[in-house]
Amino acid sequence: MKRGLCLLAFSMLVGAPMVRATGLATCDSGAPEGWQPQEKLAASLKEKGWQVRRIKVDGGCYEVYALNEKGERVEAYFHPRTLSPVPTGAKNHKG
Amino acid sequence: MPVWDPVVRIAHWILATCIIAAWFTRGATHDWLGYGALGVVALRLLWGWVGPRHAHFGEFVRSTAATLAYARAVVARAEPRYLGHNPLGAWMIVALLAMIALVAGTGWLSTTDRFWGVEWLQETHHLLADALLVLATLHVAGVAYTSLRHRENLVRAMITGRKPPPRAGDVFE
Repeated sequence: MKRGLCLLAFSMLVGAPMVRATGLATCDSGAPEGWQPQEKLAASLKEKGWQVRRIKVDGGCYEVYALNEKGERVEAYFHPRTLSPVPTGAKNHKG
Repeated sequence: MPVWDPVVRIAHWILATCIIAAWFTRGATHDWLGYGALGVVALRLLWGWVGPRHAHFGEFVRSTAATLAYARAVVARAEPRYLGHNPLGAWMIVALLAMIALVAGTGWLSTTDRFWGVEWLQETHHLLADALLVLATLHVAGVAYTSLRHRENLVRAMITGRKPPPRAGDVFE
């Protein structure tokens, strides 16, 4: 039992950070040099009536936290090269 | 002899399960695990008030001086065995329950319209979750060490609720 507990403690410190839950989608988006600016995405979403709270890079996608035009909370992904929506669960989305 | 009542044991394992599962999940599942953990913390605190003897926080949470004295005894390898929680384990329980409440609280807050997508709150939630992971690791290490020192299986005790009866020199609380 003690060996098991020591193994558990070790894997908690060393292994847990590696298996932490990641984003809701990933994008095949290459180097950031070819990406469109976040400001452009924010502007187009604002035009749709969204209240954009935060945009960050997650899994090679732009991850947006916003309230949409109906005031609903949304966490949406967009491809940084095309700025087209990426469906939740997509893997290495090509845009 | 019976020490840990079923509520204490079930609360312990539900919390452990919620925390581990929340680490791996996102979205609605993650959120509900957090609400579940927060609910169990609240129930555990209430149980510390109305539950049986070994569930009472007043029974095992000691003063700073007594806890430091116990810590020195651990270093000197002269600490007594406690039938309930030892003073260091007791403060770890307090720290874990508080940290779980903070992690779940900040997580819930960042799902409200007011705080949705607020960066500092999301980062705080992550940092607190990291701190919880460190505390939980120390908790497991402490359980391993104490089990080894006093030749008793504390993991089994938290499953069955039973511990070897007090021997000479043990503390009954």
